[in-house]
Amino acid sequence: MATMWSPATDHRSIIHMDLDSFFVSVERLQNDYFVGKPLLIGGGSDRGVVASCSYEARAFGVHSAMPMRLAKQLCPEAIVVRGDMERYSQYSQMVTEIVHEAVPSYEKSSIDEFYVDLTGMEKFFGCMKLATELKARIRKETGLPISFGLSENKTVSKVATNESKPDGQRQIAYGTEKGFLSPLTVDKIPMVGEKTAYTLRKMGVQKIHTLQQVPVEMLAAVFGKMGRVISEKANGIDRTPIVPYSERKSISTENTFEQDTIDVKKLESILVAMTEQLAFKLRKEQQLTSCVTVKIRYSDFDTHTLQRKMPYTSADHVLIPMVKELFKKAYSRRMLIRLIGVRFSGLVHGNYQINLFEDTEEGIKLYQAMDKLRQRHGDKAVVRAVGMGVSRRSFNPFNGAAA
Amino acid sequence: MKFIVSSSYLLKQLSAIKGVITTNPVVPILENFLFEITDGTLKVTASDLQTSMITEIEVEAKENGSIAVPAKILLETLSNLPEQPVTISVDEDTYSIEISSDNGRYKLSGENATDFPKVPEVTNGFSVNISSDVLSTAINNTFFATSNDELRPAMTGVYIKLDETNTTFVATDGHRLVRYRRVDVAADVTNSMIIPRKALNLLKTTLPVANTNVSVEFNVSNAYFKFDHVKMICRLIDERFPDYDNVIPAENNNIMTIDRLEFLSSMKRIAIYANKTTHQVRIKITGSELMISAEDLDFSNEANERLSCEHDGEDIEIGFNAQFLIQMLSNLESKKISFKLQAANKAGLLVPVDKDENEDLLMLVMPVMLNNYV
Repeated sequence: MATMWSPATDHRSIIHMDLDSFFVSVERLQNDYFVGKPLLIGGGSDRGVVASCSYEARAFGVHSAMPMRLAKQLCPEAIVVRGDMERYSQYSQMVTEIVHEAVPSYEKSSIDEFYVDLTGMEKFFGCMKLATELKARIRKETGLPISFGLSENKTVSKVATNESKPDGQRQIAYGTEKGFLSPLTVDKIPMVGEKTAYTLRKMGVQKIHTLQQVPVEMLAAVFGKMGRVISEKANGIDRTPIVPYSERKSISTENTFEQDTIDVKKLESILVAMTEQLAFKLRKEQQLTSCVTVKIRYSDFDTHTLQRKMPYTSADHVLIPMVKELFKKAYSRRMLIRLIGVRFSGLVHGNYQINLFEDTEEGIKLYQAMDKLRQRHGDKAVVRAVGMGVSRRSFNPFNGAAA
Repeated sequence: MKFIVSSSYLLKQLSAIKGVITTNPVVPILENFLFEITDGTLKVTASDLQTSMITEIEVEAKENGSIAVPAKILLETLSNLPEQPVTISVDEDTYSIEISSDNGRYKLSGENATDFPKVPEVTNGFSVNISSDVLSTAINNTFFATSNDELRPAMTGVYIKLDETNTTFVATDGHRLVRYRRVDVAADVTNSMIIPRKALNLLKTTLPVANTNVSVEFNVSNAYFKFDHVKMICRLIDERFPDYDNVIPAENNNIMTIDRLEFLSSMKRIAIYANKTTHQVRIKITGSELMISAEDLDFSNEANERLSCEHDGEDIEIGFNAQFLIQMLSNLESKKISFKLQAANKAGLLVPVDKDENEDLLMLVMPVMLNNYV
């Protein structure tokens, strides 16, 4: 994408906006009781992870993606809420709409984060003023607190947002990026995760200031290609453009078991139930898929995925046999399984094209009747008998990896 | 071996059969034309193992012989030469070929003719005569509805059913179906075959503009088409064609009649605004008004048009792939067409209102499953 350069200045103006502890904020909107209390959102079982936690809980050392069991040890008085992905999506959509209306170009990088390109706008409004107004508007219209950072590029803006949280804002003036970053620890740089930070610490690099002094070649020798990117980011350089928001191109669900299992019958019935549910979602949203992926994670965390392309479809009777077949092929080790998942990708808008020879009138009517029932009485109103024992709860996205 | 032939005449004959040659054949020798001279007649064969085409050319030659000639070089040479007699001489020991013209000499190396795969003969076959006009109309009407799905080989060709009273051509890909029937073509015995799409495509481009007789011979595995100086032999698809007769609905009583071109051009305009992958459009007939609409949610594009039509039946709303309808409507020739419907999830039938008394054309299209319950 061509970057817009403003005639007045020779640098960009990029805002990063992040909803503060998004899931927690949504829960608090629903229930006042949660306000001011340590709150954990995520799978309730011991094997779940924390998807989001309130600032009160963070004070105890809890952070997202931490195993729920550990979080509860750290903060026993925390309230655990399962979370309602559908509602979060709704709120996320509301915020997206507000952003969409207010700015020329934005990227939705996750459910609660946006990058906005305001290059050229300073001439008319002043970027900081516009962003502050946007923040206030989101707060007013949705009730959700949001923080933002404004700078020349995505990396610095994101760091600035994180530094300003909660409910804050921060502008890093052009030319001062390096100085802003230097006192921070290396793990504040987006993309420097636990492992990279650990390696850097072992190299004697604690602060970004030190990292800025490390020669690029040395980082490249340790981290390969990423070394150069890390070096650039540490110096406040990031040329990646804003990729305008587009609708997601896949839907998926996965399930981590309470206990690892080898019961193929049970696994299959779960797959069928998952596929049925996803296929219904496709039809409901008038979408078709052209690629099915099945994911298996064994108890030793060895993960296998297998996918297959096919003509566009949203019909159970095409997808279920395909998922079963893929599972049979992917399940090659006689070993306990920890997680299974199904993903439909290559989505397009459209409805199922009825086949002259393979579909019957009864079949099509059955789909329409089932979908009507589900539309009115919920996903589980009518299901295949094989998937009946599988509870709806199994597909809670928080039981697996963090959202 | 040596012969003299007019450059443009040779080019014309070779061009008629060159379509068989694939760019990357299974056996490299299939990149060649097979030249065989017997008593002053040059027989040229091109093949891809499934389909072979043969043409015969009168040439000036004293001796018999054969050679495989690289097709691409020969065609390019001939197409860049001005019209003149050219002499082609072949050294049958070294397989070297020399083309001499007024402009100069061109040398290329051929291959041993005996390495060229043998073209099968049709023995104890049935035969039927069809005029080239009828055959090309039949191909044009059905060809587009064949499937590319290699997993369902039966549908990748056109089914031809010969009967004592008529001949039926059928093509389908599971989403649409075309049935074209002629009562002026009949055979002595009932028989049927599936001809692969590539062979039909070749036939379509090679069939002469002027009406001639095409003789078709076939047995269980091969079909032979003969016309003018050209012969085409193709391997038949050895599969059972789906039971098409039972899926054509008989009681589609909700009938809309409309000017074909008006419907077609409206459909083409609306299709621009439909999703680029699924091409879905919505057709709504209320009273004598036809409304066509489409939307592409990804780009917030949408369009709708209203047309007036003759309509006999209840109001109906039904979704289709616009590409299917456009192809069908452009292949029909009648001024007016009837669109016979029954229900939103059942097949629709497109039929011409006025037609030749010898022919019967029916185009069937399956709808998409619209969900109106949201």
